[in-house]
This record gives sequence, C-alpha cells and structure tokens, in this order.
Amino acid sequence: MTLSDPEIERYSRQLVLPEWSGEAQERLRSASAIVVGAGALGSPAALYLVAAGVGTVGVVDDGTVELSNLHRQPLHFTPDLDLPKVTTAAIKLRVLNPEVQVEEYQVRLEEANADAIVAGAGVVLDCTDNFDTRYLVNDTCCAQGVPFVSGAVLGFAGQVMTIVPGRSACYRCAFATPPPAGAVPSCREAGVLGATAGIVGSIQALEALKLLTGIGSPLLDRILQLDALSMEQTLVATERGADCPACARVPAAAQSV
Amino acid sequence: MTELDLTGVPCPMNWVRTRLALEPLPAGERLEVVLDRGEPLESVPRSAREDGHEVELDGNRVTIVKR
Repeated sequence: MTLSDPEIERYSRQLVLPEWSGEAQERLRSASAIVVGAGALGSPAALYLVAAGVGTVGVVDDGTVELSNLHRQPLHFTPDLDLPKVTTAAIKLRVLNPEVQVEEYQVRLEEANADAIVAGAGVVLDCTDNFDTRYLVNDTCCAQGVPFVSGAVLGFAGQVMTIVPGRSACYRCAFATPPPAGAVPSCREAGVLGATAGIVGSIQALEALKLLTGIGSPLLDRILQLDALSMEQTLVATERGADCPACARVPAAAQSV
Repeated sequence: MTELDLTGVPCPMNWVRTRLALEPLPAGERLEVVLDRGEPLESVPRSAREDGHEVELDGNRVTIVKR
C-alpha cells in the first residue's frame, strides 16, 4: 500500500532525506517496536518512533507517574500523577500520531512474560533502569533473534549499544555479568538531568529507525559512551564472545537486518 | 549543630534533603542526620564521603562535617 497524502505531508521532512525513501517509510509503517520502560529514556525514544511513523509501538512499564519523574520523562505531565505510565504515555503518543498502533503492556518485563512481549517485534529498545531487566532483554532478544538497542544513563554519563543477535556482540558479550550487588549506586549517583537522558533516548530511537529501514550503520560491535558535561563521545569496540551464553548459538541467518 | 530527622524518607530524597541542609553551612560545621537502617544508612554516608565531607556514624545517627 502506498503512502496517503496526509502521510506524505506528515513525513515530508524525512521523506526528502536522500538516505530515506517512500519505501523506507512503508517499511517503517509495517514494522513494530517494543519500548521497555516508559521513563527518562523510553519517553523520548517512544515519542520519536511514533512521530517517525513506526506502524506499531508497544510500551512496557508497570510504574505510575511520580512528581520526581517529571523533570526527565517528557511523556508524562503534571496532571498524570499517580496514573499508570503506559496509560499516560499511550494518550500522548496516540495524539501525536493517530496513524500508529500504540500497545500498552502494564507489566514489569519478567522471564514469564518476556518471550510473548518480544515475539514478532522488529526491534526492541531497552530503556530500563536496572541490570536484571537489561540482561533479560538481552537474553530474550538473542534467543528470538530480535535486534535491540540498549541505553543507559548515570549522572552525566550515557551509553548506547545496538545489537543484532548472531551478527554483533550482545550486551552479555560486552558486560559478562552485572556489577556486584555491593556496587549499588549511591544516592548522589542517582542524579540525572532530563536533557542528558533525552540525548540517549533519542540516539536509541535513531538506531531503531536505522535498523528498521536498513539505512546507515548502527552501533554494532561498538559502544557509544557520552560524557554530557564535556560532550566528549567515545566509541569503544567490542566483539562477540565465542562462548557467550546468550548469543553464541544464535544463527546469523535468522537475522532480517 | 543542625539536626535533620530523615526517618521514613527514602533514597535518593534523603540525600537531596541532606545536601540542601549542608549547602548554607560554613565549612567545618556539623550536620546530624537520622536515617532509616538499610539502604538509606548505607547510601547517604557514602554519598557524603564521595562529596568530600567527613562522616561519623553512631547507630542510625550520622554526623556530617561539612568540608
């Protein structure tokens, strides 16, 4: 199905990109993305995916909106306090772009539900704030051969890594184990500016759009590290672990990208 | 000495309150905070040390000497 006139107008500023095309836009429209976490990273990521016209966007979060969330989570507004994040997120996303099918998963991603939520997704965005879920996203996506984009923020430090299972290093290849339990961040490390998280979430959305359309070079086998205070960015090379328990046995042929 | 009762105040809000209480104090002044055991008592003293303050512990009473 070709693009409608309103679609052509809505997406005109990306359709004129030399790297983009009507075909890329149609690919996006028939694609789906899952955003795990509707917080500081998931808010900007979901907004940009929906605005760009990804056909189906699922948002996974079991939390409710708190006053201390609002400085960094632009999907949630002051009147949304105490409401489920997926509900307030879906309302904004549907108003932003009614062409997009927004799916609400008001659950915490867990081993029991991860397979079903990730199944069939074109891309997954790991916008979580804890290592348990991060490794669960990694292992589930690797087992199912679903590409995903991992993002994290701590203070002014940001990190993004894109993973195509079977083809590039996964999160476990780069970080074999979570930090020891004793290394829980102290209170002062819990600080973050919304704008810093916004950069990281935006990069995650851009990486997902690149994966879904096939344009450009995603952050495969490279970890982008950002120091937002100095704005210095570093690309750290990684490689697949031959014995990685998550991805060593994933056949590259399973990949669509 | 200034005293701050932060029992019932979870992380990181207890550290936010502590920082704000420390801010107007002159260097060397002491701030005594009372914290819940568990994560608050582990995390707030550590955060204070990481910010360069001296910290003394007495049960769940924490004395912070502003640097």
